[in-house]
Amino acid sequence: MISLPVVLIAAALLFGIGLYGVLGQTNSIMVIMGVELLLGAAALNAVGFLRYAWPEAASGAMFVLIVVTLMAVEATVGFALVVATFRNRRTAELDDLTDLKG
Amino acid sequence: MSGLGTALVFWPTAAIMLVTGLYVFRTSSMARAGLLLLASLGVEGLIFLALASEFLGVLQLLMMSGEMVIMVFFMVMFMADPGGLMGMDMTHDKRRSAAAAVGVAVALALLALLTDWPAATLSGEAPDVRAIGFEVMGRSMFTFLFAGMTILFAIVGGIMLAAQGGRLGIAAPGDDGVAVPPPGRAGQHVPPPGGEEGHAMHGAEPAR
Repeated sequence: MISLPVVLIAAALLFGIGLYGVLGQTNSIMVIMGVELLLGAAALNAVGFLRYAWPEAASGAMFVLIVVTLMAVEATVGFALVVATFRNRRTAELDDLTDLKG
Repeated sequence: MSGLGTALVFWPTAAIMLVTGLYVFRTSSMARAGLLLLASLGVEGLIFLALASEFLGVLQLLMMSGEMVIMVFFMVMFMADPGGLMGMDMTHDKRRSAAAAVGVAVALALLALLTDWPAATLSGEAPDVRAIGFEVMGRSMFTFLFAGMTILFAIVGGIMLAAQGGRLGIAAPGDDGVAVPPPGRAGQHVPPPGGEEGHAMHGAEPAR
């Protein structure tokens, strides 16, 4: 049967996959996709706690609403940054943006 | 949904969520990567449904389907090899990234296993949409308003960042409506025909 640790482990694996994308991809859009998976893992954690630790608390849904809001905000600002970068440098590759590299 | 029903839905959907999530970064076709991400986060919505969070599950499905369709458009617009036909490698630090990801996932999984979590069983019905509505419009109204304002600020900030005529002016040839030849190589900056003085960001070589 399913319990809270099972849900949390699934979320931990999803978080690891998202982290792999954020650290290992060179394209800004792919990094944004990795961040989406990280936030998806956070939302899954919140739903797990909501279901198995405090099942009768409606306030737990607010955490998921906030995470979903963050996903939308992150995508909006991320895409805008990609557009601004592409306008100036004609590339969305992170490895090409080295102006501030020491 | 009973415990057995939850388990029957949870295991396959969790497996699909993880496999599709992993293949987002394994496929070379970016359009396919966007659809795989949609599958991963959409199936996560099904997990929410199985865990007695109907409202959140439907919300997740609707939000992710809209967001991922937009993301596919951006990928096709901005990626050097959106179809994956040129065999470009768009990764770096593969080994260290994988090591960090596995390390963090194992640490979090151990934390989940070894912690003594509070356990409670659902005695009656899970909070329905009506209860969540009262929560949002009652005790959590400030949080909900804050989330709405955050989205508004993100929209305004996104438009300001992406606008053509911003603080930086016209950024590059082609933005003012004059056609520019396509770049010779992916990721290569193409200087304007009249030199680099078209933009403040491109004006001079940085001091070394």
